[in-house]
Amino acid sequence: MAKRTIDNLKLGIFVLTALALLILFLYMLGRNQSIFSKRFEIKAHFENVGGLIAGNNVRVSGIVVGIVEEVALVNDTLVVVTIALDDEMRTVLRKNALASIGTDGLIGNRVVNLLPVREPAPLIEPGDIIQAQKDVSTEEMLRTLDQTNKNVLVISRGLIETIGRINKSSQLAALLDDESLSQNLGAALANLRRATGQADATMQDLHAVVVGVRNGEGSVGALLRDTSFAYELNQTVRKLQTVEDQADLLAQDMRTLVQGVESDLRRGQGPVRLLLTDSLAAARVQRTLGNLEEGTARFSEDMEALKHNFLFRRYFRKLEKQKKKAGGE
Amino acid sequence: MNLFPKNRAFLAEIGNLARFTARFFREAFRPRYEISELIRQCFIIGYKSLSLVGLTAFIMGLVLTMQLRPSMVHYGVEAKIPAMVCIAIIREIGPVITALIFAGKIGSSIGAELGSMRVTEQIDAMEVSGTNPFKYLVVTRTLAATLMLPVLVVLADAISLYGSYLGVNIYSVLSLRLFIAQVIENLAYYDAIPAFVKTFFFGFAVGIVGCFKGYYSTKGTEGVGRSANSAVVMASVVIFILDLLAVQVTELIWDY
Repeated sequence: MAKRTIDNLKLGIFVLTALALLILFLYMLGRNQSIFSKRFEIKAHFENVGGLIAGNNVRVSGIVVGIVEEVALVNDTLVVVTIALDDEMRTVLRKNALASIGTDGLIGNRVVNLLPVREPAPLIEPGDIIQAQKDVSTEEMLRTLDQTNKNVLVISRGLIETIGRINKSSQLAALLDDESLSQNLGAALANLRRATGQADATMQDLHAVVVGVRNGEGSVGALLRDTSFAYELNQTVRKLQTVEDQADLLAQDMRTLVQGVESDLRRGQGPVRLLLTDSLAAARVQRTLGNLEEGTARFSEDMEALKHNFLFRRYFRKLEKQKKKAGGE
Repeated sequence: MNLFPKNRAFLAEIGNLARFTARFFREAFRPRYEISELIRQCFIIGYKSLSLVGLTAFIMGLVLTMQLRPSMVHYGVEAKIPAMVCIAIIREIGPVITALIFAGKIGSSIGAELGSMRVTEQIDAMEVSGTNPFKYLVVTRTLAATLMLPVLVVLADAISLYGSYLGVNIYSVLSLRLFIAQVIENLAYYDAIPAFVKTFFFGFAVGIVGCFKGYYSTKGTEGVGRSANSAVVMASVVIFILDLLAVQVTELIWDY
């Protein structure tokens, strides 16, 4: 009977140990899922939750403080995520916190990150709705990459075309195939080298000249180096200046004169005004000039007659002879 | 049509087992409970199996960790070894391996014990003496097996995880606290509870199959060996069928 009791005792220990282990294990699991702690619910509005499901963790500053209770699609652009947060978050989080969907590690589960905003706001309360921060999602990145790919395709097509044209170009091919090209290039380079050599020599000559000039050799040197020349030049310039001044005075006098004439003209005084404005005077002058012309013609006629007169004929003949003589010599 | 008699025998066996099970429930809920015999059987079936189950569980955890390690290192997720091992052990390997060991040890012993009692006509003698042999022998053993296997599985899981912890520490350094934190982090109720519940069914299967095979043992001493053998084989097959059913039912109920 004593053995039976000891066996029962062992059995009791055996069963109790397993039971204790089981309870401990289940309690730890429950605590991990925060089933036993007090919680409150808030909501977050998203456009896209990227595979978030109920049960995913919610983090603040990287610490798990709650879980996603429910993910509900309200309409085609709005997903309402109900989040259960530990009660102690009521004294930590503020109403203006932002929610964003992240990933736990590179390939891990989705998580909701609550990001505090550094602006004053009242503390969060149950039932509050917080806004979502738009994140770069993998899909968007891929979409951008797709666009980039398309662009690269266009670019590469252009490149293919360009290269095709280069390949097809007979001119370029001729240029590349031309064997004399290298010879010509070589000759051109040789010429260039020679030209450079000559330029060098020229430069050396010029240098020598410049050195000579600096030392006062030659006329240019004298010109540049002679101090008396500079003095004379100076004097000349000064004289030129006085001449200019006088010309200036003259111009002033002329101007006063012209102004006088002009004022006369305006006022209708003086002979000039009469000459310029009086049409009668102009007609008279014209007639006078006509008479003068006529007179001159008559005088010319008289003189011709005089030449043929016997009294003066000898004189004119002598004059003619002298002229001939001068021409003959 | 040579197969037909064999098939008929198989189907008859299944039918007999179902009938036997029904009788178990009828007898189990009727009064005159054999409590002290039940406790004695629990001690024999449960406590005496602990060392064997503990050893296999420890080796299982250790070996599983060491076997998984190269692949996990290859994929660069060495840090996830505890997570992977704990899910494997808690959800599947712990219950199934323990149940198979249990079937090997307990199923065969029940089959042989009841078979020899049947062959030596002790069961008939019980009936004559007014003791209900089904109540005294079958119900107590089956109930003991049903109740003890979950206990063994819980302990085996713990030992197995400790073995896994040692397996991780062979190659790298990981504190026990972090190991436990990682295990807990990667498990949830829907991992632990179905796995725990199905062990009751495994235990029941081992007990009822062992008793059935032993209770209907025939053909003398040769039949005793055969009942012990077939008890183990059938119990093992039933364990796997139940495991398949369990995972499907779990999927249905727990929509994670």
